[in-house]
Amino acid sequence: MSTKQELAAKLLEGDRRALSKAITLVESSHAQDRETALALLDSIMPHTGKARRIAISGSPGVGKSTFIEAFGEYLINAGKRVAVLSIDPSSSLTGGSILGDKTRMPMLANNPAAYVRPTPSGSMLGGVARRTREVIALCEAAGYNTILIETVGVGQSETEAANMSDCYLLLLQPGSGDSLQGIKRGIMELADLIIVNKADGVLLSSAQESATQYMRALSLMQERMPGWQCPVVLCSSTEKTGQSETSAQIDAYFSHAQASGAFTQKRLAQKLYWLEDETIADLVDRFKRDKSIQARYAEAVKQLESGRSPARIASEFVSLLLNNSQKS
Amino acid sequence: MTHFKHSPYQDWESLALKERRKEAPDEMLHTTLEGIELKPLYTAADLAEIEYHESLPGLAPFLRGPRATMYTGRAWTVRQYAGFSTAKASNEFYRKNIAAGQTGLSIAFDLATHRGYDSDHPRVEGDVGKAGVAIDSVEDMKTLFDQIELDKMSVSMTMNGAVLPVMAMFIVAAEEQGVKPEQLSGTLQNDILKEFMVRNTYIYPPEPSMRIVSDIISYTATNMPKFNPISISGYHMQEAGATCLQELAFTIADGIEYARAARNNGLDIDAFAPRLSFFFAIGMNFFMEIAKLRAARVLWAEYIDKLFKPKNPKSLMLRTHCQTSGVSLTSKDPYNNVVRTTIEAMAAVLGGTQSLHTNSFDEALALPSETSARIARNTQLIIRDETEMTKVVDPLGGSYYIESLTQSLINEARKIIDEVEEMGGMAQAVVSGMPKLKIEESATIRQARIDKNEDVIVGVNKFQSDDEQQLDVRVIDNQQVRVGQLKQIDEIRSTRNASVVNSALKSLSAAAESNSNLLEAAIVAARARATLGEISDALESVYGRHQAQNQSVGGVYGRAFEHNEQFMELQSQICEFEEEHGRRPRILVAKLGQDGHDRGANVIATALADIGFDVDLSPLFQTPEEIVRQALDNDVHIIGISTQAGAHTQLVPEVMTLLKQQSMNDVVVICGGVIPPQDHAALYEAGVSEIFGPGTHIPDAAANLLDHLK
Repeated sequence: MSTKQELAAKLLEGDRRALSKAITLVESSHAQDRETALALLDSIMPHTGKARRIAISGSPGVGKSTFIEAFGEYLINAGKRVAVLSIDPSSSLTGGSILGDKTRMPMLANNPAAYVRPTPSGSMLGGVARRTREVIALCEAAGYNTILIETVGVGQSETEAANMSDCYLLLLQPGSGDSLQGIKRGIMELADLIIVNKADGVLLSSAQESATQYMRALSLMQERMPGWQCPVVLCSSTEKTGQSETSAQIDAYFSHAQASGAFTQKRLAQKLYWLEDETIADLVDRFKRDKSIQARYAEAVKQLESGRSPARIASEFVSLLLNNSQKS
Repeated sequence: MTHFKHSPYQDWESLALKERRKEAPDEMLHTTLEGIELKPLYTAADLAEIEYHESLPGLAPFLRGPRATMYTGRAWTVRQYAGFSTAKASNEFYRKNIAAGQTGLSIAFDLATHRGYDSDHPRVEGDVGKAGVAIDSVEDMKTLFDQIELDKMSVSMTMNGAVLPVMAMFIVAAEEQGVKPEQLSGTLQNDILKEFMVRNTYIYPPEPSMRIVSDIISYTATNMPKFNPISISGYHMQEAGATCLQELAFTIADGIEYARAARNNGLDIDAFAPRLSFFFAIGMNFFMEIAKLRAARVLWAEYIDKLFKPKNPKSLMLRTHCQTSGVSLTSKDPYNNVVRTTIEAMAAVLGGTQSLHTNSFDEALALPSETSARIARNTQLIIRDETEMTKVVDPLGGSYYIESLTQSLINEARKIIDEVEEMGGMAQAVVSGMPKLKIEESATIRQARIDKNEDVIVGVNKFQSDDEQQLDVRVIDNQQVRVGQLKQIDEIRSTRNASVVNSALKSLSAAAESNSNLLEAAIVAARARATLGEISDALESVYGRHQAQNQSVGGVYGRAFEHNEQFMELQSQICEFEEEHGRRPRILVAKLGQDGHDRGANVIATALADIGFDVDLSPLFQTPEEIVRQALDNDVHIIGISTQAGAHTQLVPEVMTLLKQQSMNDVVVICGGVIPPQDHAALYEAGVSEIFGPGTHIPDAAANLLDHLK
């Protein structure tokens, strides 16, 4: 795989190693790698966009990994090729990460129709999400028609996950009505489909109760897509129940979205967002890499000593940069 | 005769402060790993805090021993754990040991057997006969006990996952020797909860696994009055890094859970509790270990009395087997291990154990050789017969320090046990992952203390010797064992009555779905010559196979190394690497084969992540194909293979071949764990870059890895 053409060709053939190397390439923080990565992404663009992109969210401990393991197996048995990406795995204080996805999804880790690739969060500029979008494209080019994006269920990564997926699954625990208050309303509003997980054994009846409560709560919220009332599905990853219903609801969601035109609209909006987000992130990147800008920034920092307002200094600094670039 | 005045405590204290050059008494305290504060001196005044210092041996709560006369009447059972290769080879070894003074047998099974696989299963290619004896059918079991009188010899079997086929085959082998179940004495380990916590040699999910345990307890309560159906084991917790306190508390909590399960199965507490037995590890913290055994007896008596109200005092009596600590043994300067084992064995004896296994000094390297096994056994015989330690019951009873330490352990353990009980008992706690995480945290702290030379291990992090002794260790040709086992399996399959086997297996599956006793059904299948794998499969078809979820502790190791120079140097090297390569060094920490011990792998993973590596963890029990696939998918720089049970000789070269086939020649492969020196050459030749033994200093190893990536 000496050249990028070769890498692109292998990737399009669905070569596992090419996909793996291509992901490393787009995730690389190296400036030269970035050029190669951009060229690769450009060349595969016509072969992307055909997969269903499904975000899977929920608080830690709700059973996302076991859900993905069971649901992924169901999809593979139905003939799908499944890629699993995690958006924000745990990272230690020093920047290293422990990536345990393979231990949590042992079947998918070894199934020929699946590809599980956790991304260390590390010190990546602009957040992991920025690269996840690109990794999704690579997986699509390699022939994966279902992309499952696992998120941590809190904070900024949720909106980002929603911004790069077609369908947003929210996993919830069975529990009393109190648990409903624990869930941020903002996250409930993102959901296209709610899964009440661990609906088995002693938790089954409380799962059923919770489902009813969630449905009631959802009926008071605005529809995220016109004409689509977010359904609530009971699932047990250990007893392998609820997978076919989840799949049927996702099918229904996609046919509704496609028929109403919402799907095309959403994809277009996401592409615009991608462009905007990448423009800003790239600006910041270059800003930080450029030695002469950094030198001037150091001068701006010095001005703090004079007691001027940081806002004023920043504004002048940016104006100076923009004027300079207009002149050159 | 001169008379000295009774000196006040303060006089001693001011003297002590002067000698130690300290200001306040608090500065002289030492905090143990357990979090217990030790004073430099204990006196009669401390006895005021002791609840049971006037208790007597043989009487509840058995602080001073379960029997009134202890070793003055009869010494402990010398029970050496052994097993390797074929049933025939192990049998010969057992008979030699019995002739040389061993008084009980303790069978080690290979990992294929533990995990419910026949020797011909594709997943176990590297494990057959390696870390124990390979058993596929009742014929193997008969060979194992050939010329050993099962009505006289007490037999302990370390088996947890595949308990049903193994126990069934044992009963049938005895039956065909003319020995009835009620004549059999011995112990089945059968402690599945700790498997989910630390050792990972389970087969089925927790719930059906607990049912299997209680079915066996029910069966033995009715049919085998001299047999201990369970050995509630803390041993493996300590081996996995638990402190003595955690081992103590979680083991008692496990025991409570089993008692509850048996009672819920309809048994009266007095019908089974007297036959529940325990198994503890004895490590190098001499007095702590003695106190632990004494505390365990008190706690057991208290909780059983409180929760189950037995009528028979024997139900309150904790009887235990002990084994010296395997994890305390070092591969460097291995003769030091003879000394370590001796100290540990003395602690077990002074703590009042009922039977004892002493480790062989070469066990950090391989299975014991004939010589090392003899020295290990003689360690016990010397303590028993040469030292007069056996002449008085509980000789340390009444020691201010021992009694205080015992009381501290009792107090602290009660808190943990009560916390577990509040969670709904140990089965619930285990499912939540709480005990496993706590133990892993302790393991990581301990590793950091050793790596920082805060805890000394002679010959490893201090007083290293340049004199590298080459030991003659036992080598198992697992391919040869496997070929023999395969032939035997074929023969059994061609000579048995297939329809009888099938109907027995069907009844077993049916029993799994109903309430009938599983051991009874398994005995019928074993008698019909169903294999171990077939019996396991019949249950797996109903219960499924359990897959563990890995949780790991982050930051614990790194915090211990804050501001450490070597640590910071490594972190800056990693930053340089990242600048050059666009990402951090990425390593797949992989468990190959059927060995489930994952403390080493987990500690390494969390330490490397804290140093700054990106660490992928493989699931347990992987094949070479699976490891290579995961390395490829995650595009790692390094594969780190953890191996404790000998499967590396077969499986690591397979990994190397597969890497070449995938043109992944740039991936650096390293191995860690228990790897005999004579295997090193072959591994290096296969392309392995480094081999790290027990006691490896992790920051040094990390620096070494970074060098390989340059």
